[in-house]
Amino acid sequence: MKIGFIGLGIMGRPMALNLLQAGHELTVWARRAESMQPLLDAGASGADSPAGVAGVVDLLISVVADAPDVEQVMLGEQGVASADRAGLVAVDMSTIRPAAAREIGARLLEQGVDFLDAPVSGGEVGAIAGSLSIMVGGSVAAFETARPAFECMGKNIVHVGDAGAGQVAKAANQIVTGAGVLTVAEALNFAARSGVDPAKVREALLGGFAYSKILENHGQRMLDRNFKPGFKSWMHQKDMNIVMQSAHELGMCLPVAAATAQMYNAMLGSGLGEEDSIAILKLLERLSGAED
Amino acid sequence: MQIGFIGLGVMGQAMALNLLRGGHRLALWARRPEVLQPLLEAGAVACATPAAVGRRSEVVFTMLTAGADVERVALGLDGLVEGLSAASLLVDMSTIAPEMARSLALRLGEQGIDMLDAPVSGGGQAAAAASLAIMVGGKAAVLERARPLLELLGKTIVHVGDNGAGQVAKACNQMIMVGAIQAAAEALHFAAAAGADPAKVRQALAGGSAGSRALEIMGGRMVDRDFAAGVEARLHHKDYGILMQEAHRLGVPLPVAAQVWQQLNALMAMGWGRSDTASLLRVLEASQRAAG
Repeated sequence: MKIGFIGLGIMGRPMALNLLQAGHELTVWARRAESMQPLLDAGASGADSPAGVAGVVDLLISVVADAPDVEQVMLGEQGVASADRAGLVAVDMSTIRPAAAREIGARLLEQGVDFLDAPVSGGEVGAIAGSLSIMVGGSVAAFETARPAFECMGKNIVHVGDAGAGQVAKAANQIVTGAGVLTVAEALNFAARSGVDPAKVREALLGGFAYSKILENHGQRMLDRNFKPGFKSWMHQKDMNIVMQSAHELGMCLPVAAATAQMYNAMLGSGLGEEDSIAILKLLERLSGAED
Repeated sequence: MQIGFIGLGVMGQAMALNLLRGGHRLALWARRPEVLQPLLEAGAVACATPAAVGRRSEVVFTMLTAGADVERVALGLDGLVEGLSAASLLVDMSTIAPEMARSLALRLGEQGIDMLDAPVSGGGQAAAAASLAIMVGGKAAVLERARPLLELLGKTIVHVGDNGAGQVAKACNQMIMVGAIQAAAEALHFAAAAGADPAKVRQALAGGSAGSRALEIMGGRMVDRDFAAGVEARLHHKDYGILMQEAHRLGVPLPVAAQVWQQLNALMAMGWGRSDTASLLRVLEASQRAAG
């Protein structure tokens, strides 16, 4: 299939490489030309704008930072919508507000472009291994068109519902993982401050009801004090803001997510934004009297 | 002086009337013309558009709900900017995001129009009694031009800083005040559950270190179970959306405010948005009722 790929950062680059390696014909664009180079070296073609990509593909995928970036790529000057490609399927795999995804989808549909929101979970590791979880919102027909591409990038691929439903699932995912990273850090810090080896505690907990993938993977990285991203804190902070603003609009009570979001705010404010989200452990240590 | 006033809700009505009583000539515009009647009877003049208000006025006051409303009235189609002459002044007394206040000041400044953000605290009673607390952001010289008018509206007038600083102060005000209402609700709910008369507890506390305006006024409403607004809770909910978004932008943790926000979300979900914020007591009571 002729596939376009826009946004070649930590997540986008390995996802695009997996599409290439599966034999798809790839055309790429990125805001910074140097991000395109690894893909060009691997055999992809380059385009000079999102519209340039849209002009030559049947399926277009974007993985960028936030809603304004998606809007720019899809609806901006030289954007996908301006390419006059009725029948194109555009898939945004970034994490943005469900309401923004619905709005962008509706505006693309006016140009005959079918839109899917398909955010992912699994981090850089999952992107490289092609084992991401992909949560999809949009029409069944568009989903079937995109499925072969999804299968090159992910394992657990779920069509959740109509437009925006993928982003709702991702927001729910971020509630669980955001609070999960925080509770694992709290538990390990609690063990350490109580004079008990946190590595042993993690090992003991892994066999019981407190088992989680986060305790296993993130917990290990906390013990190794490996704060290299992975998934940068500022991105999780952005995602928690999506959750909390959505809860505000809906009028619903999310006490744990609210507390978690404040801890991520504190990470940004204390200069930990570029580190992995597990650096929340450093913040907890500081608030528990540890010297920096 | 020739003054314009836009935004004639409970607060705006009382404030406009005080300006009239101070001997000034008043030009008005409202989305719903029926709210104009009491002021027209008192001698004010109605205009067809905000632009027409601008043409007749040296100083215009706005008292609206959301930042988008202020933006539309000031800079939208037939907006104030189309009528105001250079060196005129817009005093926005609405509660909006500091970012929006700064952006409006900048854009009006390009047309030679000065702006103050001057949100207020004190509610309907203080508006009627001309005893509002007014928190002002903008240039000191501009405030001096507006001061004689502001003195007709409020008792405490503090120049907090540059444009936006008034809105920052107002956000701090809401943080403390609604937090105090929540604390009063929790204390009185606890008192009742523990078998003590909440009215007596409130009375006992009023004289000591826990005494506060919130305990006195909203606590009084809780004891009387009089939940008719004062200030409608939906407005406090709106304000929390603004201030938590600002905390997100700045990377500042607000753990208590985040929890108060969730209680306000629950209040909205229960349909009490148009009643008094003393309804936070009813949220606590609802969370204790047997589920089912």
